[in-house]
Amino acid sequence: MSGVYVILEDRGGRISRISWEAVAAANIVSAQSGTKATAVVIGAHTDALAKEASTRGVSKVVRIEHPLLAQYTSDGFTAALEEFTRAESPDYLVFPHSYQVRDYVPALAARLGRVLIGDVTAIGDGPVFTRQLMQGRLSGNYKSAGNGPCFLSVQSGAFRADAGESAAAESSTFTPTIDAAQIRTKPGEPFRGTAQTVDLGSAQLIVAVGRGIREADNLPLVQDLAAALGAEVAASRPICDNGWLPIERQVGSSGQTVAPKLYLAVGISGAIQHLVGMKGAQCIVAINKDAEAPIFEVADYGIVGDLFEVVPALTEAIKATKQ
Amino acid sequence: MKIIVAIKQVPERDAQVRIDSSGKWIEEADLQFAMNESDAYALEEALQLKEKHGGEVVVLSAGPERAGTTIREALAKGADRAIHVEVDDLHKRDALGAAQLLAAAVKPESPDLILTGLQSDDLGYGQTGVIMAELLGLPHATLILQVEKTDTGLTVKRELEEGWFQNIELPMPAVLMIQSGGTKLRYATLMGIKKAKTKELRKVNAAELGQASASTAALEKITLPQKQKSTQIIPGSAKEAAATLVEKLKFEVRIL
Amino acid sequence: MNLLSATLAEPQSFSPWEKLLLVVLIVASGALFWKRFGPILKKILNSRKDAGFTISPVGKRVWDFFWEVLCQAKVIRERPLPGLAHAFVFWGFCAFALVTLNHLAVGLGMGFLDPQGIVGRFYFYLAAAFAIACAAGIFGLFVRRFFIRPRWLGNKVSYESGVIALLIFLLMVTYLAAFAVTDSSPTARILWWTHTLSLLIFLPIIPHTKHLHLVLSPATIFLSRGGFSKIPPLVGDEDFGLVTGTDLTQLVSLQAYSCVECGRCSEHCPATNTGKELNPKEIILGLRGYLNEFGPASQESLIGKFNSMTADFQCTTCGSCEYQCPVGIEHLPIIIGLRRGAVNTGKWEDDHGAKLFLALERGSNALGMGALERDKFIQKQEFPIFDGTQEYCLWLGCMGGYDPKGREIVADFARVMNYLGTSYGILRKEKCTGDPVRRLGNDLLFQQLAESNLEALAQNKVKKIVSICPHCVRTIQEDWKEFGTPPEIEHHSEFLARFADKLPNQRSSNSAATEKIAYHDPCYLGRYRNVYEQPRTVAGLAGEVVEAPRSHERSFCCGAGGGLAFLGEEKGDRVSHTRANELVATGASTIGTACPFCNTMFRDALSATGTGAPQLLDIAQLTARGLPRNIPVKTEQP
Repeated sequence: MSGVYVILEDRGGRISRISWEAVAAANIVSAQSGTKATAVVIGAHTDALAKEASTRGVSKVVRIEHPLLAQYTSDGFTAALEEFTRAESPDYLVFPHSYQVRDYVPALAARLGRVLIGDVTAIGDGPVFTRQLMQGRLSGNYKSAGNGPCFLSVQSGAFRADAGESAAAESSTFTPTIDAAQIRTKPGEPFRGTAQTVDLGSAQLIVAVGRGIREADNLPLVQDLAAALGAEVAASRPICDNGWLPIERQVGSSGQTVAPKLYLAVGISGAIQHLVGMKGAQCIVAINKDAEAPIFEVADYGIVGDLFEVVPALTEAIKATKQ
Repeated sequence: MKIIVAIKQVPERDAQVRIDSSGKWIEEADLQFAMNESDAYALEEALQLKEKHGGEVVVLSAGPERAGTTIREALAKGADRAIHVEVDDLHKRDALGAAQLLAAAVKPESPDLILTGLQSDDLGYGQTGVIMAELLGLPHATLILQVEKTDTGLTVKRELEEGWFQNIELPMPAVLMIQSGGTKLRYATLMGIKKAKTKELRKVNAAELGQASASTAALEKITLPQKQKSTQIIPGSAKEAAATLVEKLKFEVRIL
Repeated sequence: MNLLSATLAEPQSFSPWEKLLLVVLIVASGALFWKRFGPILKKILNSRKDAGFTISPVGKRVWDFFWEVLCQAKVIRERPLPGLAHAFVFWGFCAFALVTLNHLAVGLGMGFLDPQGIVGRFYFYLAAAFAIACAAGIFGLFVRRFFIRPRWLGNKVSYESGVIALLIFLLMVTYLAAFAVTDSSPTARILWWTHTLSLLIFLPIIPHTKHLHLVLSPATIFLSRGGFSKIPPLVGDEDFGLVTGTDLTQLVSLQAYSCVECGRCSEHCPATNTGKELNPKEIILGLRGYLNEFGPASQESLIGKFNSMTADFQCTTCGSCEYQCPVGIEHLPIIIGLRRGAVNTGKWEDDHGAKLFLALERGSNALGMGALERDKFIQKQEFPIFDGTQEYCLWLGCMGGYDPKGREIVADFARVMNYLGTSYGILRKEKCTGDPVRRLGNDLLFQQLAESNLEALAQNKVKKIVSICPHCVRTIQEDWKEFGTPPEIEHHSEFLARFADKLPNQRSSNSAATEKIAYHDPCYLGRYRNVYEQPRTVAGLAGEVVEAPRSHERSFCCGAGGGLAFLGEEKGDRVSHTRANELVATGASTIGTACPFCNTMFRDALSATGTGAPQLLDIAQLTARGLPRNIPVKTEQP
């Protein structure tokens, strides 16, 4: 047996968005042999998941089911997939590069004497897998070697999911043998950070407001944008000095240091005291009406314009895209 | 509590890296090196656990001779002793090869807890800790922000996507991969460095620990990525610019 | 009574009982004096020896002694009226030396100055003149301390000061009164005994009070460390700074016991003036208290009962305290020594401080920015790169390399250098000079940075450096000396002033239209380096320089020094706002600075003022304004 298998991830009863990107990536690999990938769903009750997967451009759906797979555990999923892999001998096992995958797939690969090629951003002929090194400063090209399945995981957003629907694919079930004693970790229920304390330090998305907002009454503009993004609100020092926002939301040399995936600076000029607090952000977007504002020196994207027009437009555009 | 912390010496975060003549690695001659960032958090977590529960913190690092500086930094910050696995071509090993080396060094120590950083700033596989756990037959958890010792083992706080968290209970011995930012790091002090001079630093040659299996994921070539980082000013009216920005956030930045 | 014929009355004979009593009293007085002074002297001598202390250059020490002790120059200059009053008291004491000896000798029948003879007469008249001045002085000081009650002398009324004042007054009055009586009168005897008792009571009081400075401060001033804010090197593997009593050196102990509690240090301290816990006087008195209770051999931590770590870390190292002290106490090495003790042992736990240290452990600059940012700046401006052939290396520093305003200052200065035809280059890589960590007491990091930088500068064949930042200048020139030989370095104000005649003169002929520039003296350029006139010369080419109420050596700190720019939010009033308001109140339309830290601190403060705030420009920017348009940073070689 051989073939390309793509393992889809369950996010609150539905397939996670990045799983569809993994499907697209898997189909690139399988296209080299003129076939489509086989989807795999894992859980205790995988009806709904399988149904969802069946029309998304895969040739087949495999349901790996076992009561002990109701909640994700590394031991459970590794044992189940190990058994499956030994049984099916796939050529490729494609995963989305999610936190869950990072937690168990390296162990799974090691168990089979292989290594995961993780966080792949491009697949070329060969196939050759590209991933980032030195925090994005360099790229590396990898090839699978030796006998055994090739494990790879793909970076979020690197591959565009196929939007279309296809004819429903067949599904089959695989029941692994798992003993309760094998599962050594006990995961608890997911929870959000405490509502009272603002923890900008671990926020992934931040919208920060500066003196360009002019008055406290204008803050809802920025708060709406943050809500649409699912981001935390932060501010430069003058805003907190005026008491418009609490001091816990201040970013800068005498406030918090943050390193989110996205930092959206609205009406902030970019004085050094503020920069040192947010320069660690992976992506900085600046909106300011002054084209010479220093913030544009560190921004990845900038919009030179009136924030009172740009911010509402941005909020609308984000809401639209999330629907 | 005997805690082993695996750390790695990596090129400084904002170093300008150049591809070497073989095309398969970087030019190391001009570089400054430092401790991998998430490893510093792993070390901090270990030191805090020792301060709370007593025991020993052992630093483990595989790398060439220059890694000694980073190991001594860890000793200066409070680790009790260190094991340096001397290997000159660590970058040629895949994550399995590296983990095999470390696991072999760890085995005779029989620690209660092994902490590693989440991923390295150079190769960034993010797998070494998980594979070590597999090779040693120990339970593990990744993306850990907080560690607490309980009567039955450990309760750890794990980071999930999109601002969610999860507590996990697991027995000891175990392997934890520590995420950056979960705690406050301590700075190196003069007193620490002086004390470090008398702490044990045992060197082990990689060859003594066994041969690595052939790499199953070969790094064939290193290239410069197409995109250079510079500010993109998005033109157009407010509405147009907003729409363009959303596109970019979705597909270039990949966060929407 | 004819004044000119009046002579000092001396009782002619004393009975054997009186002589015996006198001897007993002298011995008792001396014994009581020694009982207190002996242990103090012992504590000072038993303290650790100061590493690196040398008597040379003796010339400077002798001059300082002459000027500050004998002429009382600092005492008078910084607080003129009370200073003069004190000077009279001091000079009175000096003049009375022989008088006192003779007085006691008379009691034993061995007087050696004949009040009727020429020499005696002259000397006693001279002493009388001093006595009048001294009495007036001590009276005035008494009124000031007990009735006017200036803030700086503290809230508590010091009874001991009152007693001392009374004794001194009595001494003078009894001396003067003796001119109005005859040798044989009973009054003369009463006056004589009153004077003697006052003397013999005064003597043992000296070591029990701050009047110990009478004995110690001449030595303290003579034995200074030999430089402003001279930080001693650490010695050996066990030295981490001032941690316990065993770390207190002889100089520190001597200085602690010399404090007169005058409060001049606190009066000028920016922290004390803005309601912080830090009070330099309390730090010195705290060490004295520690020595009194625990002594110099104690393992008890210096930080604790007698010293607050919070206060130690509120110091901007502006140096006003050390500058003001009339008895030669050197506050800066002490405060930095206490910080060293806390940081080198890891005792100091501060989020912002740790962040600063970690940024420099892992990276090249104090702001924690990526070095790529500096590269981008250099490339964008197209600065010439230093390659060993140019005359000057233009040092950017952390602010010049990463702060948007600092970068503007650098770019403008580069333009001026190009206009003047000076060849210069900028190093590809720079590491922080280590100023903030040096002042915060992190010797591990400082040594690493200094050694790394010295090596890089030698490799790059740098001979002369010019910098826009007084902190870089100070650190490179003075603090790096401990680890090697730094290249020559000067501040850009010194450089520009040398070329003043070649720089454009922007003063319009109509003086009404001339811009008023309030120039602020940076601590690290003024008090630390004695550079006051050069920046004024340069600023004076762009407008009319007006002085803030506190300027030159009294300039009030902007609040950024001592590593404080990198620490968290201040409590109480902000030092920067206090100074900014003072500068704004001069009515000047421009505030002129010569330090990128001062510039950044005032920028913050002025932005709180809103519209109507004066312009804020560095002297380099003021100069560049007058250049012909579009002068580039370098001229392309043909």
